[in-house]
Amino acid sequence: MKTTVIDIHNVSKIYNPDTIPVHAVNGVHLHIERGEFTALVGPSGSGKTTLLNIIGGLDVPTEGKVVINDTDITALSPNRLIQFRLHNIGFVFQSFNLIPVLTASENVEFIMLLQGAPKAERERRVKELMHAVGLSDKMDVRPAQLSGGQQQRVAVARALASKPQFILADEPTANLDSQSATNLLDMMAQLNREEGMTFIFSTHDARVIERARRVITLVDGRIASDTASVSVA
Amino acid sequence: MLIIIAWRNLWRHRTRSLAIITSVALGVWAGAFIVSLYYGMGNERVRIAIEQEVSHIQVHHPKFRDDHDVVFNFALDSLEAALRHTPGVKAFSLRTTVQGMLANASGSNGVQVNGVDPDAEDKTRGLKNFIINGGYFEAEKKHQVLVGKKLADKMKLAPGNKIVLTFQDIEQNITSGAFRIAGIYETANAPLDERNVYVRRGDLDELLDTPGRGTEAAVLLTDESELPAAMAALTRQLPGLEVQDWRAISPETALVMSSLDISSFIIIAIILIALAFGIVNTMLMAVLERTREIGMLMAVGMTKLRLFGMVVLETLLLTLTGCPIGFGLAWLANSWLSKKGIDLSAIAENLLKGFGYGVVIYPDLPGDKVCQIIQIVFVTALLASVFPAWKALKMRPAEAIRH
Ligand SMILES: Nc1ncnc2c1ncn2[C@@H]1O[C@H](COP(=O)(O)OP(=O)(O)OP(=O)(O)O)[C@@H](O)[C@H]1O
Ligand SMILES: [Mg+2]
Repeated sequence: MKTTVIDIHNVSKIYNPDTIPVHAVNGVHLHIERGEFTALVGPSGSGKTTLLNIIGGLDVPTEGKVVINDTDITALSPNRLIQFRLHNIGFVFQSFNLIPVLTASENVEFIMLLQGAPKAERERRVKELMHAVGLSDKMDVRPAQLSGGQQQRVAVARALASKPQFILADEPTANLDSQSATNLLDMMAQLNREEGMTFIFSTHDARVIERARRVITLVDGRIASDTASVSVA
Repeated sequence: MLIIIAWRNLWRHRTRSLAIITSVALGVWAGAFIVSLYYGMGNERVRIAIEQEVSHIQVHHPKFRDDHDVVFNFALDSLEAALRHTPGVKAFSLRTTVQGMLANASGSNGVQVNGVDPDAEDKTRGLKNFIINGGYFEAEKKHQVLVGKKLADKMKLAPGNKIVLTFQDIEQNITSGAFRIAGIYETANAPLDERNVYVRRGDLDELLDTPGRGTEAAVLLTDESELPAAMAALTRQLPGLEVQDWRAISPETALVMSSLDISSFIIIAIILIALAFGIVNTMLMAVLERTREIGMLMAVGMTKLRLFGMVVLETLLLTLTGCPIGFGLAWLANSWLSKKGIDLSAIAENLLKGFGYGVVIYPDLPGDKVCQIIQIVFVTALLASVFPAWKALKMRPAEAIRH
């Protein structure tokens, strides 16, 4: 049975409406189902980041609404929105994902701390998640001592730690060499298969695109194509 | 974990943080040093005032305060009995004082003539120790007088000189007596030295016709802490007389402490305002260079309150870390200096003596002053953190991450 996690309804985003308006996103309708592994692609400046930010509640659309599991996040107050993000959405950014002064495991634990999870549970889950992303031996290492790929794995573990509805990843592999990119994608695909975690990621990378099971192409802020791929992840 | 993050964030720019911590430490040190210097000066002033000038308690006729006239005298025997039975009394001196004129061949000067019992006066005020030329009263000699150095210099008086003291007796008759200078004294308070001359009470009683009576009793206690009890006991036992403590007799001395308090507070405030600019600047840099990180923190669910708290906490840690170092330095400096004292005689002997201050200052930093400084530093840090923290709050996650 399919459940809609994200319902994007006629979303538009205009930057600088008063000076030189930029239509970054233009009347987008989109449904994301639970368990999807979806890539958002398109040329530079096509509005991928803007759309992901709107889905993630980091930015407000000029028009339209975003409903996540029956909650219209475009109607939430800024503080409620922060709380909503904390409990429902996992984020992986292109870079600067981690708190540099905390160790890998502390970074993962931090999210649960914000959520107010008890210590015992935090410790258990940190071990579990660090194992899941294959970094059990890097628990006490600071981000600066990790490779780019390892840092992104910690970021995924951190995103998972809050038990979100879905994980948004804006060009997670852009700073990685192809081997690390492939490894990261393998890991995400595995989490998607085994845990049923929903992933939406933007990318330019053809090898990453071919791993996705659904590819949405944006051009000038509009959906140019939306195809289900048959390739096996 | 916010504390851990804030603390570790401090050390991301080791030199920058150390520069602030060092300047706070030096500022606290300087502030603490000035406070302890002032406090030491004030203490010394009070000590001198009590031990050498006014004593802890004085007893007068109620009208004497307004008019230092010898007619406002009282019987000494009952007073003496009361003083002997009051606990905490270390020594006391019964005096007959009269306003008059000191004259010699070359001129004259207004003085207060103090008729004292040489032994009692010495025990109460240590008058004998202040003799710098000549000697103290000699038992067998009558009509001896001690004059202060300031007056002696002014009138070119020396031990052995003869002078004439003129004043009104209790019947308002002008009377005078010839006295020979036994010695010249010098206390820490030059203005008082100029005004006061000392003779035997017996000699003065003969001239004034006031045997067995006096105008003033000065009481030295074993310790300041005995003051309230002794005041109460004496007030009860001496119904017709006015009993005053040193604060009432010498309000300017009591004022010294509070005005030194205020000026040291102002100096510390100035030091900290200067430091605050450095702190604000550093924290602003720390916040702005972490724009993307802060954007990420907000994105993943850090509330504005927590973010604000993190910046405030970091500022507090940055500022307060310097505090113990500063106090440590101050403590070291004080424990060294308070043994030796700071001898200012080379630079400001006349100035200090002119105001009745000791020439050697023993810095002292009482606990409540330490608390006060910590509070000021704390408030400074809080104020300094507001602007950077507000800057952090104003960041919007989507833009901060793109930054
Ligand atoms: N804060 C902003 N103010 C004005 N215009 C903006 C702002 N952010 C993005 N834009 C514009 O909006 C459009 C969409 O940008 P967006 O970053 O969403 O594209 P993108 O698909 O993520 O591009 P890329 O692949 O380069 O990351 C672009 O034309 C961009 O210049
Ligand atoms: Mg982008």
